[in-house]
Amino acid sequence: MPDEMTTENAVSASDSSSEPAQSQPTPGQPAPSGPLQVTEAVAFAIGAAGWIVPGLGHALQKMWGRALGCFLTVGALVFLGVGMRGNLFDSEGGDAFAMLGYVADLGTGSFYFAARALQTGGSDVAHAEGDYGTRFLAAAGVLNLLAALHAYEAARGRKA
Amino acid sequence: MTSAADFHLSHFQAMVLFALLISIVFGFLSRRRTSERIKYILWSLILFLLIGVGIGWAMYPFSR
Repeated sequence: MPDEMTTENAVSASDSSSEPAQSQPTPGQPAPSGPLQVTEAVAFAIGAAGWIVPGLGHALQKMWGRALGCFLTVGALVFLGVGMRGNLFDSEGGDAFAMLGYVADLGTGSFYFAARALQTGGSDVAHAEGDYGTRFLAAAGVLNLLAALHAYEAARGRKA
Repeated sequence: MTSAADFHLSHFQAMVLFALLISIVFGFLSRRRTSERIKYILWSLILFLLIGVGIGWAMYPFSR
């Protein structure tokens, strides 16, 4: 989308122009730290927002295409995973793999709780569909974590 | 009622849906222009499917 490209360029350009802390400090003078810390905090908040609501981290930076893409695809993966009766792990997993699954499922942020509310009948991994559903849910979480990390890096001006 | 929506997909349908959705996210995150995104999504989808079918084919002798 050309309009999105220009918006993203504008965002990254404004980020770099309003970022005096990223320039090289003059020898003998202390490196400025105030604005950099604020930027780091804002970038972290944007990443956290992208984790809690898929796509929100990009939406806050006016990357509408990416925001919509992340929201819809992560939502579709969660919806399909729940519909296929995949296993939604909880914090009381018995082993390391269950904990790993819980972390992956939690990666979907608020969608994890929506999935728990939608899946009233529990999981059914005795069939192949339920097993696929478990993978769909875990993949949704990992993808959303990747998207949140991307939003965080974009907010720091490293990539967009 | 077991959940809000029940889906009954074959192995191949599940694989195609999974590959498509993952490819879309990869394409949106890694490319900026729409044309580049479409190319990346298609290329990633084809590779997902080819590798998935290839691994399934390679595992077939051990399935029984």
